[in-house]
Amino acid sequence: MRIVVCVKQVPDVAEIRIDEVTHTLVRAGVPSILNPFDEFAVEEALRIREKHGGTITAVSMGPLQAKEALFKCLAMGVDRAVLLTDVFFAGADTWATAKTLAMAIQKLGYDLIICGMKAVDGETSQVGPEIAELLGMPHISYVKRVEVEMESKSITAERMTEQGYQLIRATMPCLLTATKALNVPRIPTLLHQMAAKKKNVEIMKAVDIGAQREEVGLPGSRTQVTKVYTPQYRTGGGTILTSENLPNAVATLKELLKKERIV
Amino acid sequence: MMVDENSTGIWVIGEEKEGKLAPVTLELLTIGRQLADSLRQELVVVIIGHQLEHMSRLLVDYGPDKILLVAGEETRYFIPETYSEVLSALVEQRKPFAILFPATYDGRDVAARLAAKLGVGLAADCTDLKIDEAGRFVQVRPAFGGNLMAVIHQPTARPQLATLRPRMVKPNKSGRKVSPSVEYIKPRISAKPFTKSLLRTVREVAEESGNLDEAEVVIGVGRGIGSSENMRIVNHLATLLKAAIGGSRGVVDAGWLPHTQQIGLTGRVISPKMYMALGISGAVQHLVGVRTAKEIIAINKDPEAPIFKVATFGIVADMFSVIPLLAKELEPPAPQTT
Ligand SMILES: Cc1cc2nc3c(=O)[nH]c(=O)nc-3n(C[C@H](O)[C@H](O)[C@H](O)COP(=O)(O)OP(=O)(O)OC[C@H]3O[C@@H](n4cnc5c(N)ncnc54)[C@H](O)[C@@H]3O)c2cc1C
Ligand SMILES: Nc1ncnc2c1ncn2[C@@H]1O[C@H](COP(=O)(O)O)[C@@H](O)[C@H]1O
Repeated sequence: MRIVVCVKQVPDVAEIRIDEVTHTLVRAGVPSILNPFDEFAVEEALRIREKHGGTITAVSMGPLQAKEALFKCLAMGVDRAVLLTDVFFAGADTWATAKTLAMAIQKLGYDLIICGMKAVDGETSQVGPEIAELLGMPHISYVKRVEVEMESKSITAERMTEQGYQLIRATMPCLLTATKALNVPRIPTLLHQMAAKKKNVEIMKAVDIGAQREEVGLPGSRTQVTKVYTPQYRTGGGTILTSENLPNAVATLKELLKKERIV
Repeated sequence: MMVDENSTGIWVIGEEKEGKLAPVTLELLTIGRQLADSLRQELVVVIIGHQLEHMSRLLVDYGPDKILLVAGEETRYFIPETYSEVLSALVEQRKPFAILFPATYDGRDVAARLAAKLGVGLAADCTDLKIDEAGRFVQVRPAFGGNLMAVIHQPTARPQLATLRPRMVKPNKSGRKVSPSVEYIKPRISAKPFTKSLLRTVREVAEESGNLDEAEVVIGVGRGIGSSENMRIVNHLATLLKAAIGGSRGVVDAGWLPHTQQIGLTGRVISPKMYMALGISGAVQHLVGVRTAKEIIAINKDPEAPIFKVATFGIVADMFSVIPLLAKELEPPAPQTT
């Protein structure tokens, strides 16, 4: 069983601040972390390996510093870590990212691919299903429970929906996208972390996966970001009442509900 | 890549579930009508499913020029692999300019597969879609937990795909007098052996808990609720406000609400008219899920709780004293006995 987990290094969204004066994103000093959803993906891969054997390869596309995210995967227990890094890959949108990852995964070999349900920076939930389509395999997204059956080479998974879940079966090769309901990721010990740093993160470039310049990175991207700005949310500055005169506070709330035509 | 300049038409992919049309379909039609009018192109709505005869009646008022109903046994259940195959055949035949999907679990799935199949772009989870002065299709979407908005163009490929978050526009009847044409299409699926099947659909969220995406009012429950038994009081309030119930990660991890109801960074992003946070501290990871709510009401007994920094109205008090008082105010007056 060859499991590939796609992981991305992302800025810790909770630490991002907006500069009050310039209204721009302050990224300086914001730590980079392994995308939280990818931790669930890695953990699930480890559990599947514990049960059914096999090897796990964590693959990431990003700048050299994304090695840090892969070290974390190694510390958690994956067998192999691959970083796709090349100036040709820069500026990729989801299509170009999925294309690059699919080409690399093709080289690496696979029976099961696990992605996070979304990356917390781009927040698209697209890369997983796009990889599946490019590799011509089924996918099950928003997974909250997984069972692998080796004889029939099939996966049975619970896929989260707005109102509950669907039970879906697919044959492998197959791609899953992980939600936080799937598991509680293990926290690597300091010893494991130190050992991981000594392990090798394999580097792959465009030539290694046979990618042409026009199909990856910015030239391969179909979407172009033409402008970014920080939004203004109408938050805060509202009336805050205390419990001193609770009936009065509640009456004010009721007035607000009426004004908004909620009651 | 070559752009086919003859691509024309705004397509809306509707969502149908168990014979019901998801409200987001009408929102998509409303925004689709605006785009189609700006470009002087036709607006086409596509519904894929099983028995769809009653659908056109629900759609006509919202301004489509054409209704395409793809109905068959093969498309009885939502399977993104199948739905994207059906759509890709239609797209190659008719060459639309842009296709809009709902940013729901199903909508995102099928849009992503279609984009990869066609090799075109897809802007995910947009909050606004418009046509600029140059006649270009512009997509606006948040990123980095809503800290940043990105304006996106797709100059190099057609059709241009986008998913739109629910509740970004109010469904608006178009008032057009022309009645749309209705076309029935049989799905054509390649003979590939089926590699995927839906075994069962399970509802975990109580009917009365509503749908987080669609509800005007959402009550967010935090760890301040203390126990799952206390959820009863909130359920009662939710009924009175016709609200859906969601919660913080703390509450979901405690098992007091199903995972589907978690709001925030690792849960769902919602845009209700009013979000009422009860016993929620207001951690950034939670707040990124409710940023686009019009009103945020906070009830928390800690005056220092960060939720008050974003609240448009708040009460510093014990929720267990506030809720019964509010419920009493909202309950219909008891019938007079004579
Ligand atoms: C990677 C990551 C992802 C995360 N994703 C999410 C996410 O998606 N969603 C999310 O919600 N969290 C998320 N979190 C967790 C988040 O940081 C907070 O821990 C969580 O939101 C806190 O939940 P809470 O407000 O219910 O609980 P607490 O922080 O414990 O707050 C409870 C509040 O209730 C108040 N209270 C107590 N009793 C009463 C009473 N009787 N009446 C009124 N008020 C009362 C207290 O004053 C307190 O402010 C994430 C964290 C990480 C690290
Ligand atoms: N640059 C990348 N390298 C590796 N995996 C990625 C990358 N971008 C996205 N992914 C995978 O795709 C998932 C969804 O990302 P997104 O579609 O950007 O929300 C992530 O959780 C990862 O598993």
